[in-house]
Amino acid sequence: MIELRGVSKSFGPKRAVDHLDLTVRPGELYAFLGPNGAGKTTTIKMICGLLRPTEGAVLVGGRPAESREARRLLGYIPDQPFLYDKLTGREFLKFVIEMYGVPRSAGLSRIEELVDTFEMADFIDELCENYSQGMKQRVVFASALVHEPRVLVVDEPLVGLDPRSARIVKNMFVSMAREGAAVLMSIHLLAIAEELADTIGIIDHGRMLAVGSMADLRKQAQADGSLEELFLKLTGGDGRRVVSPVARARLESPS
Amino acid sequence: MSLVLPKPVEASSPPPADNSASALRRLRWLKARNAVATLAAESRLRVAMILFCSAVFWFGLFFFFLGSFQFIAFYVDLANTIIEYLFSLFFLSLLAMLLFSTGIIVYSSLFHSREAAYLLTTPASADRIFAHKFFEAMVFSSWGFFLLGSPLMVAYGLTVQAPAGYYALFLVFLLSFVIIPGGLGAIAAVVVANVFPRRRKTVLALSLLAALAVIGYFVVRVWRTPGEALSGDWLGGILNRLAFCQHPLWPSKWMSAGLLAAARGDWPNAGYYLMILSSHAGLAYLAAAVVARDLYRRGYSRTQGGRSSRKRAGLAFFDATFHRLFFFLSRPIRLLILKDLRIFLRDPAQWSQFLIFFGLLGFYFLNIPRLGYGAQSPYWRNLVSFLNLSVTALILSTFTSRFIFPLLSLEGRNFWVLGLLPLKREQILWGKFAFSAGISLISTEFLVVLSDLMLKMSPWMILLHVGMIAVLCLGLSGISVGLGARLPNLRESDPSKIAAGFGGTFNLLVSLVFIFTIVTALAVPCHLYFAGQDYPESSRYFLSREGLRFWLSAAVVVSLIIGAAATIIPLRVGIKAFQRMEF
Repeated sequence: MIELRGVSKSFGPKRAVDHLDLTVRPGELYAFLGPNGAGKTTTIKMICGLLRPTEGAVLVGGRPAESREARRLLGYIPDQPFLYDKLTGREFLKFVIEMYGVPRSAGLSRIEELVDTFEMADFIDELCENYSQGMKQRVVFASALVHEPRVLVVDEPLVGLDPRSARIVKNMFVSMAREGAAVLMSIHLLAIAEELADTIGIIDHGRMLAVGSMADLRKQAQADGSLEELFLKLTGGDGRRVVSPVARARLESPS
Repeated sequence: MSLVLPKPVEASSPPPADNSASALRRLRWLKARNAVATLAAESRLRVAMILFCSAVFWFGLFFFFLGSFQFIAFYVDLANTIIEYLFSLFFLSLLAMLLFSTGIIVYSSLFHSREAAYLLTTPASADRIFAHKFFEAMVFSSWGFFLLGSPLMVAYGLTVQAPAGYYALFLVFLLSFVIIPGGLGAIAAVVVANVFPRRRKTVLALSLLAALAVIGYFVVRVWRTPGEALSGDWLGGILNRLAFCQHPLWPSKWMSAGLLAAARGDWPNAGYYLMILSSHAGLAYLAAAVVARDLYRRGYSRTQGGRSSRKRAGLAFFDATFHRLFFFLSRPIRLLILKDLRIFLRDPAQWSQFLIFFGLLGFYFLNIPRLGYGAQSPYWRNLVSFLNLSVTALILSTFTSRFIFPLLSLEGRNFWVLGLLPLKREQILWGKFAFSAGISLISTEFLVVLSDLMLKMSPWMILLHVGMIAVLCLGLSGISVGLGARLPNLRESDPSKIAAGFGGTFNLLVSLVFIFTIVTALAVPCHLYFAGQDYPESSRYFLSREGLRFWLSAAVVVSLIIGAAATIIPLRVGIKAFQRMEF
């Protein structure tokens, strides 16, 4: 469903993504990990057709990511979601179903289903400008799912969500993947990635360092342990390096 | 709500219909409807103020244009070429301004708005998204054109007793006209994003400089028209030098010729020019849509990402000098001023506009001896000196409205940083006030002294003007900082939109009233005195030296009181509002 072949993206002299290969198959939940500035958001923007690769090909459902057909298959939740302040949540969801050409009656019943699922009945008819961060996030999730995408791309999905909403979202991802959708999730919460993902890809400096299941990652890193330990080892930040020299001196000094 | 898994996703159906055009249309309608409903429900006073100010502005312009047309009609037949020249020149200037303003607005709304990023991930085609954003940009960039153009057209129609059809037709003319620079500006915006994705500010600065050079060239040409001012030869020379605006390929020419024909009731000619204008408007939009269809996504991709890796110097020497120079201010205020100063210097949109306007004024003042004003009578020199001072103050008011008023609003989501700083909240506003007043005083005092020296004004008059512009600087800074805190717009991140909103417009109006009051109070006694010097035979109507002394002293006292009130009252109002503000 999502396929990146030898993809590079440069911004002037800086190479943000460097010959990246990545595949997310139908029914797969893929956790895309990496330190800040590793190239995750750039990769995701190329999958959504917002950025053009400098080299290589990005395909969604077998079609170029920029094509209309690819975008029709896609649901995207960015790290900084967008809502129209002067629209109510329901008006925004109706706008989305019309944009995606979802038949009206099917779209409206899908909206009701999502309003119920994300517990939005209390505020869905208020203007978005009055929403809290968590409310906005729930409406954005609903808007990405209302047209029943076959490919879901999510950048930092759990920011701003309370534990209950986070659980719903996690269930939603698993459910979508089990029903045949390809789900790509960029996330910094390694425990969630370890809990949910079928496949984990770790990227740094635009290059894929390791990819596979937890067992595959352990083999590639030649280490046992949690995903956090594997991540730190693969990205070159072992336990000692992630503690600043000043903090280490404090910890080690007998007081 | 349930925590169970939701229903499975069904298999995809055949490609659905493309409803994006109607969806985007409905979106615009819903946004407008909800915005009006919110305003009507929550801000009736604000709506009333906006309508009232717009009406005052419209009628003010209308009576100004009506008076001007009646004055011109007293000397010449309004149907003759002078009016066509004036209209052509007016619309040509607006054409250039609309080209720049729409280009800039289209650029930022296509390539730097979060809505565009969202829409580009939907199935909507690039030209549909372009059409949606173009429509919004046109409304945003051309409402002022309608506000300025409609009283002009109505005043002209009434002066020449135009038939009723003219009043309906001029709106169609205006609408067709704005689409031409809008379309061309949009093409320029998309091309710049594709060709110079990292050099947009350079392109804009160079274009503005080129436009200024062209304007300067024609201004100098017109200025140097030989012959005695207002004589027949001189007027002929002027028209000859303005002949460029009558070129048959300018849309402004089609506009003026069509409107004059409609005002005469010459419908075949009016229809002919309207068809030329509207067909070119359609062509401009179509060309822009085709360019956007093929280049918008590519341009968007090229303008994104790529953080600037340019390292900024610490400016330790600059900071230390600043702290030493302004030792009498408290350290937190000095730090706040330094922060604002750094942001000002790193934003070319701010310092370049400041530099261009004040640079042009400086250039004009330096040329005063060449214009021969210095050799004129005291009456004339006094008049010009006050006019120069007024222009300097008016430009300063646009600076304070455009850049100082939005300062607090721009803190936006970082407001909590200011709110939690270990200093009194009022100190933050005093810091902004000191920043604004400092920049204003340095630039305007220099200009006013330069103007007076070039005009060979007496030391007393120079002193009066220096004091007067200081009062204006402090008052305008107080108004902008105070009202900026009282009427902040924390949702908007674009300073031009904050300045163009209700608070910014209100700030500009208050500033204009303040300038008018101060300048009138001081200029009238001087004018009456110097006029008496030139016309001693009617000196009983004018002020004697003693009269000047008395009235000028009274005017100075009144100006100081008004200046103090304009500085302190808005600041107090702003400080109160700022202290009540929750983060």
